[in-house]
Amino acid sequence: MNTATIPASAVRLPDIAFLAAARKAWHAAWAIAGVVIRELCRRKDFYVLFVLTALITLVMGSVTFFGEEDVARYLKEICLFLIWVSSLVIAVTTTARQIPAERENRTLLPLLAKPVTRSQLLLGKFLGCWLATGLTLVVFYLFFGVVAGTREHAWPVLNYFQAAVLHWFMLGIVCAMTLLGSIVFAAPSSNNTITLVVCVGILLVGRHLNKVALRLDEPSQTLLYAVYYAIPHLEFFDVRDLIVHNWPLIRWDIWAAALGYAVVYAALFLGLACLAFRRKTIY
Amino acid sequence: MTSPLGLLLLGVTAFGLATTLEPWFQTWAGSRTASGSALQVALGDGRRLFARHAYARADAYFHNGYYPSIYDGHDGYEKAHIADGLHELEGANGAEREADFLGQPRDWIERFSRHFFPSVHRHLGEATSCQHCEHGHGENHDHGHGHDQDSGDPGHAGGQEREILPWLQLSARLDPQHIETYVVGAFWLRKALQRSHEAERLLREGLQANPGSHEILFELGRIYFEDRQDAARARNVWELALAGWRKHEPGRKEPNELLRMQLLGNLARLEEQAGNVTRALEYLEELLTVSPSKDAVRKWIDDLRAKAPQP
Repeated sequence: MNTATIPASAVRLPDIAFLAAARKAWHAAWAIAGVVIRELCRRKDFYVLFVLTALITLVMGSVTFFGEEDVARYLKEICLFLIWVSSLVIAVTTTARQIPAERENRTLLPLLAKPVTRSQLLLGKFLGCWLATGLTLVVFYLFFGVVAGTREHAWPVLNYFQAAVLHWFMLGIVCAMTLLGSIVFAAPSSNNTITLVVCVGILLVGRHLNKVALRLDEPSQTLLYAVYYAIPHLEFFDVRDLIVHNWPLIRWDIWAAALGYAVVYAALFLGLACLAFRRKTIY
Repeated sequence: MTSPLGLLLLGVTAFGLATTLEPWFQTWAGSRTASGSALQVALGDGRRLFARHAYARADAYFHNGYYPSIYDGHDGYEKAHIADGLHELEGANGAEREADFLGQPRDWIERFSRHFFPSVHRHLGEATSCQHCEHGHGENHDHGHGHDQDSGDPGHAGGQEREILPWLQLSARLDPQHIETYVVGAFWLRKALQRSHEAERLLREGLQANPGSHEILFELGRIYFEDRQDAARARNVWELALAGWRKHEPGRKEPNELLRMQLLGNLARLEEQAGNVTRALEYLEELLTVSPSKDAVRKWIDDLRAKAPQP
């Protein structure tokens, strides 16, 4: 090969600069994420919710029904319900206070004065909140596994793994949605309330919106169907009934597709948050 | 008002009011504290709504979580399937009641979502293959790996029916007047879990809350007859139940004819075994007037008459 004929610009690796920038951005985001994780460890929210979950589960587990000691499913259902409530509350409240707290403490401008862009800041906050909720889920699901295992004398680790990872990715969407809310809404309290209402609403009726839409007249039907297609279907990730009733594993390709679905929606909300944050005036 | 004198005055007023109101409150007819049940105190009559929900949860557990929501069609689910076993005569309708409430998926989201919740009609304790051995998607799986479901022993695969018990007990606590809860609970305790003593205890609780209930008495008689082989007590209880039926049911809009047929049939069988052919024939003659299987009853009557000593 005659290298003399190839222009010098083509010999240079064109993406080195991009890779270096991406690496720098990742380091900045990772440093911010570390702060968020340490903050969650310092705060009492998780400990209180975990103790409550454990206490209620253990009290309910101490009840016997007609002398049957191996009744497990009701206990699994209660425990998983408490885990879902606790994780949603932790994810939403932790994420909702990130940007407003920086603003209130007047640390937002000094933070952005460092070589950190607004997008990197948001990415770091998202990563921190998502990883922190992941850590809490590990503790919660370990507890659940022990409780269920002692009752059922079985350890379907893969089923729990699938459920926990789906749950974690669903919380990724919630964290991204809350982060967007913290840019759009004025106060963390309103963001908390609205995000929780939207999440619970989707979890409860998201799956049924199409059935409701079909019973409506036009144009309500089209509008509701559009909402049905547009919303992130958080209920995909709620596989509690499969776990409670010992259904088999979800097919791995379907499981992976659900994770991909979560990544797309989290990226969408995160992108919108970055866009809104770039246009926001910071005092 | 923050002065010590003001606070003292407030304290004295509060104490005086308490001494006046407390005796009145203790005798007030509307006081929930008169009830010994914490659920009655907390929920009042609203607990009956929760009782229905708990009963539906038991039915949902019986289906391994496959259960229609308020947005789905309830065809075949108006009556809890956990009550099916009580009425063998209704078995003919069983196939219709296995209706798939989900139907065909309407769009890709619905098709995809069905992988994440129970979407196959299956009952507790039904034999299925094991995931770790070989199975297809949607098959149920017992993680116990004792291969309970394949054992073919309903009592053993059972064991699994115990999972509906917490909801039935909660339902009975919330609404002690809902007779079906006791009858269904006792049936599963007796048939699937072989716990006839617990079943009898539950039925007696039901009788305390619903004195003279012929549905509960019928189920109690089955325990005496089928589990204890105590024909004398079974006869007494069933006769009491039949008297209760004759007293209360004819006035109802839709009398429970199925229960009447079961009572008459069981009493006839019992009298036949005891050699009281005349008494058995009396029950069968009555059964003939209501039974949809008249030929079978007629044949039974003819057989009995043939066996009876001629006058």
